[in-house]
Amino acid sequence: MSRRYRQWVKDYQDHAWTLARYILKDAQEAEDATQDAFVKLWHNQDNIDPERIKPWLMKVTRNGCLDRLRRRRDNVELNETHMAGEVSGPMQGASATELGVWLRRAIEGLKEPYRSLVVLRDVNQHSYEEVAGMLELSLAQVKVYLHRARKELREQLAEVRP
Amino acid sequence: MNRTDEKTEQQINALLDGELSPVDAEELKATATDDRDLARAIIEAYQLQQAMDTIHVERAPASLRKRLRAIPREHKTALWSKSLQPHWAMALVAVPLVIIAIGLMRPVTPSASEIAQARQDLAIAFAYLDKAGQFTGREIELTVGETMVDAVAGHMIRNIKLKQHHSKEKKA
Repeated sequence: MSRRYRQWVKDYQDHAWTLARYILKDAQEAEDATQDAFVKLWHNQDNIDPERIKPWLMKVTRNGCLDRLRRRRDNVELNETHMAGEVSGPMQGASATELGVWLRRAIEGLKEPYRSLVVLRDVNQHSYEEVAGMLELSLAQVKVYLHRARKELREQLAEVRP
Repeated sequence: MNRTDEKTEQQINALLDGELSPVDAEELKATATDDRDLARAIIEAYQLQQAMDTIHVERAPASLRKRLRAIPREHKTALWSKSLQPHWAMALVAVPLVIIAIGLMRPVTPSASEIAQARQDLAIAFAYLDKAGQFTGREIELTVGETMVDAVAGHMIRNIKLKQHHSKEKKA
């Protein structure tokens, strides 16, 4: 049982951590949220279809992160206006690293479920079917939401990188 | 955003995901040659994809890895107690009790040698008790006796001394 759990940790800890990091934008809280998800996995491992461990874990991680966001007193999500003011300055001629940092912040600034969709699909590279399972959305919904999210990022990128 | 825009956006995404059929891809590119906005959207989408390639899954920090590895150890007891449902706990407790009860209820028929041995043990025990009783009695007698002697004699001596002291004072 413990060996099986250790393998899951090895396989999925980075994906769960990345998702939590993008949603919460706080390393310490992301660590706590990821740990909570794995504790739930440990306690429920016998009740989960082994084939569905990854989507289950990602869903639990995301739900835990969203709960934490709701609990935050000064919830930035409530006042969130996508990205506009947060990342500024022309990115023309910017290095790949700078572009990566900008894009990370742009993704962090997206609203839910767009942010989770982009992280799960474009950063974590899960398939559309997996993402649909993780977010409990239909495949069609995933595709529509994702192209909206990408369009928003694209437009922001075009603004800072004319 | 109208229906056409939604459809075009889906096609651009499908193109970038490699999910657009070659025929549809060629058709989209052909349309883009006459549509500046579409061409711009496709170029921007490619730029975004290139930017996306610069970010990857992040490695979980060492502190988190350590915490995740510790979960089985820290939550083992909880898991064990969770699996130990009340009816199973009752059953576990009941098993030794039943065994003891059966042992006690079994009819005992000691052999002649066992009875002889028991009598001998009993005689030794009584002899020991008798000796211990005598010793304890002597100890009590000695201790109580000394205390009683001190209580009576001491009191009388103190009274005599007090009277002598009073008579001396009167004479003086």
